[in-house]
Amino acid sequence: MKKEYGALVVGAGIGGIRAALDLAETGLKVALIDARPSLGGILAQLDHQFPTDHCGMCKMLPLTQRDQSSQYCLRKGIFHKNIDILLHTELSGLEGDPGKFTATLRRRSTFVDPTRCVSCGLCAEVCPARAPSEFNAGLSQRTAVYLPVPHNIPNHYVVDLDNCQRCWRCFEACPTKAIDFKFEQRKDFNIIVVTPDQQLSQDLPLWFTNENFPLHPAATGEEALGLLAGGLDCGLMLLDLDLPQAEAERTLRRALELRPNLAIVLLVSKNKDRDKVGDKDGGKDEAVAALIKQGAREALPKPLKQAQAVPWLDKLFMRLVSDETLSIEVGAVILAAGFECFNPADNPAGSADLLLYGGHPGVLTSLEFERLASPTGPSQGLLTRPGDGRPLRRIAWLQCVGSRDVKLKADFCSSFCCMISIKQALLAKRRTGGQAEATIFYMDMRTNGRDYQRYRDDAENQAGVRFIPARPHTILPGPDGGVLVQYFDYAGELREETFDALVLAVGARPPKSMERLALAAGIEVNESGFCATRYLAPNRTSRLGVFAAGAFGEPADIRGSLIQAGAAAMGASRMIRVYHGPRDETPEAEPKYADVSRQAPRVLVALCTSCPTLERNVNSALLRQRMEVLPGVVTVVDVPRACTREGWDILRHEAEASAPNRVLIGACLPYVHVPRLRELGEVLELNPALMDVVDIHTASFAGRDTSFAGHAACLASCSTKPGGGPGACDCGETARTNEMGSLLAMAAAKLLGADPSSLPQATPVSPQALVVGGGLAGMTAAMGIADQGFKVVLVEEAEHLGGLALNLRTTLEGNDPVRFMEDLVEQVEKNPNIRVLKDSRVVLSRGKAGRFVTVVATGEGVAHTLHHGATILATGGREAKVYEYGNRVHKCVLTQLELEQRLAAGTVDASSLSGVAMIQCWRSRGESRNYCSRVCCQGALKNILMLKKRNPGLPVYVFYRDIMTTGFSERFYTEARRSGAIFIRYTPDDRPRVEFEDDKPVITALDPVLGGQIEIRPDLLVLSSGVEPNDASEIADLFGVGLTEDGFFQEAESKWRPVDFLKHGVFACGLGLGPATMRESLLQAKAAAQRAVRILSEKQLSCGNVVAEIRQTLCSRCGRCIPVCPYGARSLDLDKDRIVVDELLCQGCGSCMAACPNSATVLRGFHDEQVMAVIDAALAGQPRAEARPQTAG
Amino acid sequence: MEELNIAPQTQSEPVPGAAFEPAIVAFVCNWCTYTAADLAGTSRMVQSPNVRLVRMMCTGMVDPKYIIKALLGGADAVLISGCHPGDCHYINGNYKARRRVKLLMEILPRFGIDGRRIKLTWVGASEGNEFAATVNRFAAEIKELGPIDTRRLPLL
Repeated sequence: MKKEYGALVVGAGIGGIRAALDLAETGLKVALIDARPSLGGILAQLDHQFPTDHCGMCKMLPLTQRDQSSQYCLRKGIFHKNIDILLHTELSGLEGDPGKFTATLRRRSTFVDPTRCVSCGLCAEVCPARAPSEFNAGLSQRTAVYLPVPHNIPNHYVVDLDNCQRCWRCFEACPTKAIDFKFEQRKDFNIIVVTPDQQLSQDLPLWFTNENFPLHPAATGEEALGLLAGGLDCGLMLLDLDLPQAEAERTLRRALELRPNLAIVLLVSKNKDRDKVGDKDGGKDEAVAALIKQGAREALPKPLKQAQAVPWLDKLFMRLVSDETLSIEVGAVILAAGFECFNPADNPAGSADLLLYGGHPGVLTSLEFERLASPTGPSQGLLTRPGDGRPLRRIAWLQCVGSRDVKLKADFCSSFCCMISIKQALLAKRRTGGQAEATIFYMDMRTNGRDYQRYRDDAENQAGVRFIPARPHTILPGPDGGVLVQYFDYAGELREETFDALVLAVGARPPKSMERLALAAGIEVNESGFCATRYLAPNRTSRLGVFAAGAFGEPADIRGSLIQAGAAAMGASRMIRVYHGPRDETPEAEPKYADVSRQAPRVLVALCTSCPTLERNVNSALLRQRMEVLPGVVTVVDVPRACTREGWDILRHEAEASAPNRVLIGACLPYVHVPRLRELGEVLELNPALMDVVDIHTASFAGRDTSFAGHAACLASCSTKPGGGPGACDCGETARTNEMGSLLAMAAAKLLGADPSSLPQATPVSPQALVVGGGLAGMTAAMGIADQGFKVVLVEEAEHLGGLALNLRTTLEGNDPVRFMEDLVEQVEKNPNIRVLKDSRVVLSRGKAGRFVTVVATGEGVAHTLHHGATILATGGREAKVYEYGNRVHKCVLTQLELEQRLAAGTVDASSLSGVAMIQCWRSRGESRNYCSRVCCQGALKNILMLKKRNPGLPVYVFYRDIMTTGFSERFYTEARRSGAIFIRYTPDDRPRVEFEDDKPVITALDPVLGGQIEIRPDLLVLSSGVEPNDASEIADLFGVGLTEDGFFQEAESKWRPVDFLKHGVFACGLGLGPATMRESLLQAKAAAQRAVRILSEKQLSCGNVVAEIRQTLCSRCGRCIPVCPYGARSLDLDKDRIVVDELLCQGCGSCMAACPNSATVLRGFHDEQVMAVIDAALAGQPRAEARPQTAG
Repeated sequence: MEELNIAPQTQSEPVPGAAFEPAIVAFVCNWCTYTAADLAGTSRMVQSPNVRLVRMMCTGMVDPKYIIKALLGGADAVLISGCHPGDCHYINGNYKARRRVKLLMEILPRFGIDGRRIKLTWVGASEGNEFAATVNRFAAEIKELGPIDTRRLPLL
């Protein structure tokens, strides 16, 4: 039976995880696949993220219905009841139409059975093979059987077949027989060798005698086909192309008819004589290509050599019998395959030599530096140079390596490298206590996010990071193993500096598998090799029903990736609803748990015993005894291997027999058991909050020489000691057993005190959304929600919809925004699910996620009371007003937007102008508005290209600080420079000066290229005045959300929750959230719509098992807990005269509990009594202080 | 005098000549330090076996009474460890812990408890090695400091 899913998400990096969560939280089943054997994509390798310089991935986890998903560090892994994760799996085909795709997945075997592997690491201990570690970006070595990411959970070893030496030592070492190289199946794996070559047909069986493969030589195709027709169960056919071509082709075709899944490998002679006759060889290559197209698996050059052929065939056999092909039905597909970092060594133009990359240990890529700075990296976070281990004190960063390089076919900006380099420079400073000197060589410092400019300013002014606008022309090995960098500085002087390390800020490249993936998914790629998307439909690929998330469509930082992922999820969710009709499957019933609050605690303790490390290191009889005497324990069960399905079944049977109301499991890797506890809970009708898993595995290593060799050595040394002998020393066994007993007793104490009463009532949801603001973002968000079948009320202050986007006439990408906006307004006004209230404003709002009550007053003085479950604030922004530089005084001074409108209307005649000057960043990125306005560079380029198109000879001068054309808009910057526009950099200290003579501007400025003052007398002066938010202070007050110092909305977390507010149920998008292009506003709006749908699609919302409660009899209404709550979940209910907790907003941090002077506030699962009992249990096993030998005095 | 130091038989008897093994209770947050501890454990890092981890959701919920309880209950030292400043899953819980511990450090010495027995650290999720090092260093420090004798505290 085919498995059905709502959506398939390809790529389990953060983009894929975000998209999968956004869909799973609305109740859709999601298959999340990744080609890698681990989760988390590139983020698994990065420990610090700008602009907070910390990790915050866990903030992505669901906020309501928290118990449906994992509640632990997201870097370790994720679990959600609606997400099935398939790793080491690729999409190999996608057929069908939206709503009913059939996806073919190829799951590459890791040769390690995850239900058996206990991650003991014995296999890696014996593995002789070494390969560069992907996790450490090649800075360290790993074995061929390895852990892909050391901190992932579940964490099973995988075999990297390409580097495997086939010594089978890991197979022999594995104590649980988890590694399977299919030795048993070899004797049934028949291989037919079709070759006219007598020698080969004699040699092959000899070569393979040790491998146990039955080989069947056949001299002709007829003979081989006869074997197949005779019913031979053949797994592989080697087809020699020295056969006549027609015969080879016929054999291949017929063989595939007889056995559609037969793997056929072509043997191709590579004769030296042939090479000389070019055309003949060419003909052969074509024939090979044609045969591969017809279904041959691959081609192998002849003559075969035993040393290569045997391992090759053996590995092919293992792949063929171990890999699986799965077929699933999905409603929509999201591609989030991410990007690869540019590898300077791959560069065909040889810039690796110029950059010394690979040839000098001091030249690193930014990814390598990231690993160096990581505590899990090769140097445990010490910044030392690979190779000689010298501490790094003078470090330089070189920007735009592999980005913004037309020669490398990379006419795009990778968007994230500038910020990453600033972050790394700050990290280096912090790691070395400020000793490190950090220098960044850049072309343009693209700090294009709302808060990024301040981050850069802090790095420059407070931390002392040096920013040098220069492109070093020569990089040479320097003294003391350093790197010598030569460059021309801003004033044009030749400089030379030596650094301990040079970090290359490498850009993004499409994933290596892009070609295959594009073919499999049937999507188009753009000229840079990324997934092609349209500017005004940025979440869609060229195929209907297939969406692009994360950095797959355009290089983006974390924030951009998550917004894009949210938008893709919205697209997919809408598609599933549109093509499936209303969701056909009935929503799963919430599991019912029996009320055990009136029962005495009956604890079932299950101990995982048969695990090899436990068996060896623990006295399980003693442990069992200790457990049996714990209070409340009714049974202690030994479960052989709780990590396996069989072990779990035993546990379930035992639990059903003894009907416990608490379950304590001692096993390894507690996180892995979280989903299983849910299942067990459903069987036993017992809330999983009354169950716990304790890691006794780690403690079993205490001692702590735990390898078999170490254990044996200890035993040997004990028995040789005087008075020793076998059994005299337990090698720490008792101590380890005691430690485990103590850990279990602590957990048991906590379970005994657990509150078994049922959770607070779930909040019913009003299935309607309120969108405030009827501009581009607001309308898009409203459409996104309405299209999924929910009612939306759209409130707009003005008398017409449209907002700022109505003023745009063109886009850089050549779209027609006027038409787009007209269509959007029409769609919104005609949509039966959307009610538009124009000339209206919100006057009052109360309530919480799922249940808001808001009063909206219209211009005619009518008040509407709305009940809604979610709110989206899209109050927008406007072009900043500029009064300096002669704007509004002289007619020849315009803003970029005014020029755009006049060019479109024809009131500015480009052919009659003799010169145009533009000043960028006017009032942005400094003083009152210290942020990049995001749209001005694009706006300027748009106008330059329009002017140049109409009058190619027109001189255009652009005074700029940094051109912020991130992503694919970079190519318009290239185009503008090609068209002859002159870009002159200025610094904030030395701005261009503007005077007016005869009503014409006269601009004087320093030209750093010429090295002197220049004077320009253009006809027109165009100012990039930037963007500022509309005044949202009132609306922010009404909804209880925050604003930044610039007046933009303050999101919950700029990276991980980019469109959420801290107050749950309220979301933001568009210019009100920060400066954004049309594309970005659209993406934000769609992402916010999906976040809102996540709430609206529930009938009712319930809180998690860890939630704050109040014992009203103890509460003195002192109110200290109210300001302490970071989520604003607590308030004083004046009517009832009591403190109330909003259990949906409460995330269970327990701050209130620590603040409460009366212990009136309690956190479920962490009651005072429980914590105290746990402390007692922790100390119970310890010898009492007075019983210990006293120190002197 | 010698006789007074002989432990009564009713109590768990220390192995003669055995070195002092301190008992340390560590309150760690669910998101960062617990993850780091897990990483240290699964990566088989050498860790002092003297530490018992008590997992809390956040260091911001570590009530000073838990710390005092542990010390009076026989712990020789208490470690509190959470996310790095600015990194808290619950936005600012670790700052609350920092303030509480600072105040506690001012009070406890007045009751005769050495301030060195309480330690607040930040250990991020990927810093398994840092966690192991912190624990080992702290255990060594407490070994140096010797056992706590709560019965002889001046005000108790």
